[in-house]
Amino acid sequence: MNAGTLVVTGAVLGLGAGIAGVALPHRSRVTGAAVLLWGACALEGVAAVHVLATGHAVVLHSSTILPLTGVEVMLSPLGAFFVLLVALVAVPATLHGIGYARHGLASRTAACVFPIFVTSLLLVPTAGSVATFMVLWELMALTSLLLVLVGHGRRAEARSAASWYAVLTQGGAALILIAWLVLAAHSGGQSFAAMGHHARHLAPAVRGLVFVLALIGFGSKAGVVPFHVWLPKAHPEAPSPVSALMSGAMVALGVYGIVLVGDALLGGGPVWWWLAVLALGAVSALFGSLHAASSTDVKRLLAYSTTDNVGLALLALGASGLFAATRHPVLASLGLVATLVLMLNHAAVKGALFLAAGSVQMATGSSDLDRLGGLLRRMPQTGALFLVAAAAITGLPPLNGFIGEWLLFQSLLHGAATGNTATDVAVPLAVAALALTAGLTVVAFVKAVGIGFLGRPRSQGADEAVEVPVTMRLAVGLLVAVCVVFGVVPALELPAVERAVRTAVPGVGSALLAHGVDVQLVGLRGVLAPTELAGAMAVAVVGVMVLRRSLSRRPTARVVDAWGCGRQLQTARMQYTATSFAEPVQRVFDDVLRPVQDLDVTHVAESRYVIEAVTFHNAVDDAIERGLYRPVVRVVRRCGQAARALQPGSVHRYLGYGLGALVIVLAALAMIG
Amino acid sequence: MSRALRRFGRVTEPLAPGPPTADGPPELVRSLQLRHVDAGSCNGCELEIVSAFGPVYDAERFGARLVASPRHADGVLVTGPVTQNMAVPLLRTVEATPRPRVVIAVGDCARDCGVFAGGYGVVGAVGDVVEVDTSIPGCPPHPTAIVEALRGITRR
Repeated sequence: MNAGTLVVTGAVLGLGAGIAGVALPHRSRVTGAAVLLWGACALEGVAAVHVLATGHAVVLHSSTILPLTGVEVMLSPLGAFFVLLVALVAVPATLHGIGYARHGLASRTAACVFPIFVTSLLLVPTAGSVATFMVLWELMALTSLLLVLVGHGRRAEARSAASWYAVLTQGGAALILIAWLVLAAHSGGQSFAAMGHHARHLAPAVRGLVFVLALIGFGSKAGVVPFHVWLPKAHPEAPSPVSALMSGAMVALGVYGIVLVGDALLGGGPVWWWLAVLALGAVSALFGSLHAASSTDVKRLLAYSTTDNVGLALLALGASGLFAATRHPVLASLGLVATLVLMLNHAAVKGALFLAAGSVQMATGSSDLDRLGGLLRRMPQTGALFLVAAAAITGLPPLNGFIGEWLLFQSLLHGAATGNTATDVAVPLAVAALALTAGLTVVAFVKAVGIGFLGRPRSQGADEAVEVPVTMRLAVGLLVAVCVVFGVVPALELPAVERAVRTAVPGVGSALLAHGVDVQLVGLRGVLAPTELAGAMAVAVVGVMVLRRSLSRRPTARVVDAWGCGRQLQTARMQYTATSFAEPVQRVFDDVLRPVQDLDVTHVAESRYVIEAVTFHNAVDDAIERGLYRPVVRVVRRCGQAARALQPGSVHRYLGYGLGALVIVLAALAMIG
Repeated sequence: MSRALRRFGRVTEPLAPGPPTADGPPELVRSLQLRHVDAGSCNGCELEIVSAFGPVYDAERFGARLVASPRHADGVLVTGPVTQNMAVPLLRTVEATPRPRVVIAVGDCARDCGVFAGGYGVVGAVGDVVEVDTSIPGCPPHPTAIVEALRGITRR
């Protein structure tokens, strides 16, 4: 079976899973669709591995499936990398969905739409022409929109979240379409291959326009500031497997789009393009990590952390473009490798975190950190997996987050003195932004683990939580295992990334060399031996434990209550909460976060010295949503209100409109004629 | 500054002659961290404790220190008769102190409720609520008596 057949069979299987979701009876619906989806993921994955191994793109053409334009498939190594990334998240997410089904994925609509969503995610990177790409892209957008709406019967917020998501994603899609049309019109063909040939010789203004449109359009999908506002709304509402896919895979496809247009089709560009990407990335990383550090809902926190991680990937991409524009091919290639590695790691980590958050939500009925606590004892396996994934996302060795951040730091630090003014100013700033982001991410995830899983339960739901079914733990475990394996042996992922980069962007040098298990930078000083690092850490930990056991002469430990200053009444409400943990960060960054605080003290009627009640309200809204989008929404609403005056319901008025329109048309015709 | 110090000389009370008597667990010899609990005292004993740890009697010379949490402490210094509101906190504080630990009842009220015996808010003496290892008589006890008792445990 050749790779082309695999791609087609995979697509058919995926769509078959959608049909199975409708046709099968309630009991076997989700499982049946899941099995077919795994088949689809496996086939697409094998095709992608084949493409990455050989380095040759798979090209297919069919003029019968889509009328007028036909379907073109071009699975390049870059696309193949993203297909693998999607499959990596899709398999565990589907497995998790089986256990999660009664929380919103068991309905016929959801069981049909979810497989189609996964299939469209798998197929977007295989698209080889504008029409094919846009059909798949819109399929992905619409199915994910429906999945965000799945819970609308239970929560009214789902509807508002879906509206925000719909507007931003469709606005982005419109910009992407304009970019494609401009590019297609100037290169005389809608297939990516034809565009790739012609795009390099276009006028700089056209190329700039295409790039900016694509950056904004794909950026809105990737959740880049200021187009990120849908993320923290949609993620808490969507079922967790959908959140995992949207955050791990769909957002990565936004980055894929930017790499595809900027690097693969336009072949790089002037410095200002990449400075814009770098700035967007830095702002997104800072804003996202800051909001993650101050969020109290775990899924909202993860959503902001997605913005943060996409920001880091764009930072790497921007740096890579800058180095390419200033003719440093090795650094450019290193930056692009860092971009892809960051996205792959993010897919595994964020997939695991969202799935684990879904398990917590299912077990406790809440995703609000201030209502959780004490879960490590009640759900030990999910808790431990969440802990490892949280350590991975903060970039601690020997986990995969460290590899991505190491590559990014290497590319930035080696590029700090290249002699070009723009680079020399931008890169140190980027390093500073990266450092602050890394610190804030630690705050966010220490909070998520510390408040959510340690301490005492803060609600009845958390108190009565029990461990989730084994399939759901297995799903999270698979992704966490990927995090550990890629962290300890990055030589498993790096050659594939390198191959994707080298074929996608002709002209960039090869920057990495994986000697067995070590990672060595070629042409730059830098070696990373993660396996030895992991081994040394393991030896140190075991050594400390053995020493402690052999040296300590202490009597056996006594288990007593937590010390609460001897209070007679000690409740779980007296613990540190997520809000209080985030308070220092909120206070330091209140110019950016703009928290809304409300303190209301009611005195007893007889005396001002006796207080009857104190209420305190603290909310951290998104300043960009409030400052940028709310005014637009207000203006649109006012226009709508004004337009209602045109439709009073009177037949006479409507007849008058008809007459008036006829007169205007006739007058216009008379003037033209 | 150094001249002023020289002129001022030594203000600490002289050491009592000879090694003090030993009573207390051997682990607490030389260093004793104490958490003070006011179980309902009139604050007379508190003043004397403050004085015992002040520059004049300087109990810290002998390895005894006051700390802010029973988790950091080797012993509990209890003053006053145990009132109803303080019975549970006292029990919890003693329970929260790591073993081996000592409980020292300071003053007559802590030993036998003193003038508060039979009061409506009084549960009893410290010994009625927790196990007492050492008690220091006096109403209030002289700082020297407190320092002597602590030296008995630290053996310095």
